[in-house]
Amino acid sequence: MDTWESFRMAGKTLAANRLRSTLTMLGIIIGNASVILMVGIGQGAQKYAAEQFQSLGTDVIFVITGTDNARRNVIAPPNRLVLADAEAIATQVPTVRSVAAQINGSELAIAGNNTKRATLIGTTDTYAIVRNAEVSAGRFFNEEDIKRNARVVTVGAAIAKELFPQGTAIGQTVRMRGTSYEVIGVMSEKGAFLGTNQDDTIFMPITTMSSRLTGKTSPYGVAVAVINVSATSNDNVDAAQFQISNLLRLRHRTSDINADDTFTIRTQQDALAIVGNITGALTIMLAAIAGISLLVGGIGIMNIMLVSVTERTSEIGLRKAIGASPSDILTQFTIEAVILSLLGGAIGTGIGVGGILLIAAVSPLQAGVSIGAITLAVGVSGGIGLFFGIFPARQAARLDPIVALRSI
Amino acid sequence: MITTNTIASIPEIADDSRREIVRLNNVCKFYGQDDTLVKALDDVSFVIKEGEYCAIMGASGSGKSTCMNIIGCLDSSTSGQYFLDEQDVSDMEERDLAKVRNLKIGFIFQQYHLLPQLSAMENVMLPMAYANIRPKEQKERAAAALERVAMGHRLNNRPNQMSGGQQQRVAIARAIVNNPVMLLADEPTGALDSHTTAEVMELFGELNASGITVVMVTHEADVARNSHRIIWFRDGQIIHDRLSPSDLNHVI
Repeated sequence: MDTWESFRMAGKTLAANRLRSTLTMLGIIIGNASVILMVGIGQGAQKYAAEQFQSLGTDVIFVITGTDNARRNVIAPPNRLVLADAEAIATQVPTVRSVAAQINGSELAIAGNNTKRATLIGTTDTYAIVRNAEVSAGRFFNEEDIKRNARVVTVGAAIAKELFPQGTAIGQTVRMRGTSYEVIGVMSEKGAFLGTNQDDTIFMPITTMSSRLTGKTSPYGVAVAVINVSATSNDNVDAAQFQISNLLRLRHRTSDINADDTFTIRTQQDALAIVGNITGALTIMLAAIAGISLLVGGIGIMNIMLVSVTERTSEIGLRKAIGASPSDILTQFTIEAVILSLLGGAIGTGIGVGGILLIAAVSPLQAGVSIGAITLAVGVSGGIGLFFGIFPARQAARLDPIVALRSI
Repeated sequence: MITTNTIASIPEIADDSRREIVRLNNVCKFYGQDDTLVKALDDVSFVIKEGEYCAIMGASGSGKSTCMNIIGCLDSSTSGQYFLDEQDVSDMEERDLAKVRNLKIGFIFQQYHLLPQLSAMENVMLPMAYANIRPKEQKERAAAALERVAMGHRLNNRPNQMSGGQQQRVAIARAIVNNPVMLLADEPTGALDSHTTAEVMELFGELNASGITVVMVTHEADVARNSHRIIWFRDGQIIHDRLSPSDLNHVI
């Protein structure tokens, strides 16, 4: 019997047992849909995380005061980074485009009857450039404001909305620890990312913050928590990191080559790689779980095919009597299993892709329809049909026609 | 003429020039070993020639079913030789036996064994599909075969839409469609009422008259009476081999 004929015959047989065929396919449908959906969601999460980082700029380098060790050890105070270090980086490192020092704090902000606890960032005018931050209204504070220790703030979108619900925030006053600050700008909305939410943040000149709120100064000038640096290009991030490290070691007199740094340098690319690793592992885990359901689906096919062989013993006997060779029977049952799993695979793929499109439509997760996942899932389900179909088919092919004919 | 229960010799057939369709030479079929040894067929030899209409009879356990399985190439003998259509099939591989069954033997069963998911036409096309005949020719020959058994009006009916007699007619069409050298019927009327039995027997008679060799296994004397020769088995051996069924009453 030629292959085309075998396919037609298998199709007829499967169509004659529609309920059984559907139930058999169900396992593969679910398995396939979940593989495509899970891989899609995993990759969507990966892409989402990467995009979030990208929005902060991948050429960003963070120079953090102290080291992990020093921060843990309260007895030995860290050799602090100061504003002058930031200025030195800006002027002396050639691969650096822009530098913004930063102090962090948290204050209760009051405007009329409205109060809100806000994250406070004291920084320089270059912050907006380094961190890709944009104002939606008004302006970010400028060099002049920093020089004059001006009592001005630029507020996050959520702060503006909560403190000034009835209208424009620009020109209004925010009180923090008894001092009034004029709102000169509102940041555009950015959303939360890794625990920090720029929308809940109030920005003010670093000089104003250190003199009026934190009071954290060191003998060498204004102490800063982080120096945000952007390299001249993505390719120069490593060079910039090296040069900054050298410069700061010189400035902090850690000339002994074996001595530890007094600061920590993190690049956005490091962070991106870490997040990429985590989400990648997540994707693999999701795919593995989904893969197990695909395997279960395959075993389901084997189960039903075995039952089917037993049930159709007399059919097999008849086919053998009228001239089917063992390989004809083997082919027939294998093709039935492969059709079931491929059809189930196709339906599952449709459901998976539909699910992904739905997720992409209703959530920020831009879950991608991955051609790789579809190929894998359909390939695997076809392979599963073949693998789990062969065993029952061999059972069928081996049946003794006399025994098979006797059972009615 | 009265015959005693002796092992029959190969009967003399008037026209010796006819082709030998079945030749069994000292065929034995044993099951088990030593104490549990069962001699299903014990040194059986006979010849069936082209155009014969032969019934194989015997009680259950007499060896007639085993004999049919061997003649039908569904089983192999323990010893001895079997020639089908003058070709030694005693030691053939299963794959080659399948081809022999496909091209040389038309099987007819008590339970018809039509595939329920296929129409009458498709059931009859099945042996041709295994013979790799072109679909167009399959259709033409299947329609002709169904016409021959007076089922030309039910081509597209499924088995469950047909009576038992009609189903058996379709099964007969399926058996003759590959132009086999022999029809091998196993209790062909076992599931039919007397009226339908008569119809099917008439059809067998017509097919035989047109030159097809018919071998029929049955335990019903009335059915066997339609044949021209009866081979009677008991305990794995042939005890009667009669060209005419006229003395059947005595044997029974």
